[in-house]
Amino acid sequence: MTNPFAKPWIWSWVAAALAFALTLGLTSGRGAGELAYAALSFGAFAAIVGLGQMLVITLGPGNVDLSIPATMTLSATLALKAMGSDEGTALLGLVVALGAGLGAGLANYALIFLLRLPPIIATLAASLVYQSFAIWSNRGLRIKPPEGLADFATGRFLGLPNVAWVGLALAIVVWVVLERSVWGRWLLATGQQMRVARLAGVPVELVRASTYVTVAVFAALSGYLLASFSGGAALNMGTEYLLMSIAVVVIGGTSIAGGYSNVPGVWGAALFMFLVVSMLNSYGAGAGVRNVLTGAIIIAIVIAASTKKRGRA
Amino acid sequence: MTISKLLLGAASLAMIAGAASAESHMAETSDKRIALSNNYAGNSWRQAMLQTFEETAEEAVANGVVAAADAYTTSENQATEQAAQIQNMILQGYDAIVLNAASPTALNGAVKEACDAGLTVVSFDGIVTEPCAWRIAVDFAAMGREEVDYLASRLPEGGNLLEIRGLAGVFVDDEISKGIHAGVEEHDQFEIVGSVHGDWAQDVAQKAVAGILPSLPEVVGVVTQGGDGYGAAQAFEAAGRDTPLIVLGNRQDELQWWAEQRDENGYETLSLSIAPGVASLAFWVAQQVLAGEDVPKDLTVPFLKITQDTLDAALESTPEGSVANVVYTLEDAQEVIAEAK
Repeated sequence: MTNPFAKPWIWSWVAAALAFALTLGLTSGRGAGELAYAALSFGAFAAIVGLGQMLVITLGPGNVDLSIPATMTLSATLALKAMGSDEGTALLGLVVALGAGLGAGLANYALIFLLRLPPIIATLAASLVYQSFAIWSNRGLRIKPPEGLADFATGRFLGLPNVAWVGLALAIVVWVVLERSVWGRWLLATGQQMRVARLAGVPVELVRASTYVTVAVFAALSGYLLASFSGGAALNMGTEYLLMSIAVVVIGGTSIAGGYSNVPGVWGAALFMFLVVSMLNSYGAGAGVRNVLTGAIIIAIVIAASTKKRGRA
Repeated sequence: MTISKLLLGAASLAMIAGAASAESHMAETSDKRIALSNNYAGNSWRQAMLQTFEETAEEAVANGVVAAADAYTTSENQATEQAAQIQNMILQGYDAIVLNAASPTALNGAVKEACDAGLTVVSFDGIVTEPCAWRIAVDFAAMGREEVDYLASRLPEGGNLLEIRGLAGVFVDDEISKGIHAGVEEHDQFEIVGSVHGDWAQDVAQKAVAGILPSLPEVVGVVTQGGDGYGAAQAFEAAGRDTPLIVLGNRQDELQWWAEQRDENGYETLSLSIAPGVASLAFWVAQQVLAGEDVPKDLTVPFLKITQDTLDAALESTPEGSVANVVYTLEDAQEVIAEAK
């Protein structure tokens, strides 16, 4: 605990703070609250899917969920269609969205377990099916969320965006479960060495199943909130969350080899991913420069975080 | 040219009239088969495009204009996958391919193969550069210029503009942006103070605009590429700023928002985009080529513009959550062909 920089998650927060400061340097401090508020709002969606992806990646090498964008789109599309912009249906929509997520998670795991497909192939193939379902169910028509729900998704409580509160609450739950519950220990043990975990009596397949269901339900929740936030579900609404979900996990200091999770890092990385694009946009960088710089910065953070971790061990 | 639903009825009437006047050409293509090769279906514009093509095709087949007109979409938006799809269409014995291409150049090989096998290839929206194919293009640069011209007419004293671009690295994005910058050069009372990529999606645009707004001075106008205007408006509202003059892109949610603002505070703007019904135009052009008509290789289709006066009509004819549309008829195709000659 002597050196705070020994924590792998600190780097994503340092990077986020730097990007924040550099953007404000341009305006000499004007708009700080506005920028922080926007970062918390948009960071929440990335943080929620990132938390789910973190759990899957913790399962060990080869475990990743590539169906997150399609699951987000499908659950949001079904939920908004079920609600049909009518007041008082927000709960129904939430149930439909989470139900769709649950179904997607179970289907993903069934493919992985029953057909013995590698998770990358299984979730990628399944995502084509989910995306097609979303297209077929509503042909891309954008239905507006009920006004009360839209007000909630864009509203604030105690100065912070409501969606950020949801993301924070979820992060705390995940953190407590990982650190304090038997299931969390099982997950970490499975990720560190699946065979050893199985021999030690950990119900490995149960852990894997529940993890794949959890990530899909998180993706569904994020899709539901995002569609309510931005005025409707679009067929391409999930696209950017594929790489985003993996990036926030890796930048956040979670080991890509599995077995070590890092909850605070996910939030820091989610804020950073929003702020770095805002910073480069504010400085007028073109799309090419922006992509190259974003990539370079991500690599630098990952190197910094992983070097320190090895040093500590 | 009126809009979608109104025109659906008119289209069938026009088709009957067209069938009478151009009967000789109809007979020549009654045994021909046309395929649509489409690279992407994942947004409301593409869905409207596919629907228009299917409606046009169904009616044409029912009237005996062509023997078959089938739509195929690749799942991954990859040029390699679409090239394989085109090769399959050659093997399946289609007479013509109507093509919305994933890349202007990467499909040239497959398109050349199709031409060599005697197929007619008509590309539209996402056009190909292979000389043997026909191209139905939109003058995207003119669209960008027109946006700035409109802003200049509304805000003669000028000011700061925010530019929302589309998907980085795509031909259409470069063209529209070029037009916008040319327009700003011409009307030098304007200055583009910020530029973000909204990927033609409301939620992405909203996020990008929310991120850059805190660092921007007062913005009087927003130039867009379509599918991003509503997101921009939301971001301005969330930041507590006055809504600037946002040029819109024909999405129903944008038009709805515009009508609400108009009723509330007299908001005035302009909305313009390419109509998804361009697929039906491409279908008729392919039919005309198959009928032996002399059709120039490069055709231009006008963009669909919605003004303060036509807003209510457009809103009425556009299905909720979709895109304002025009269904093109055989006569429209003949007119476009005649203009290009």
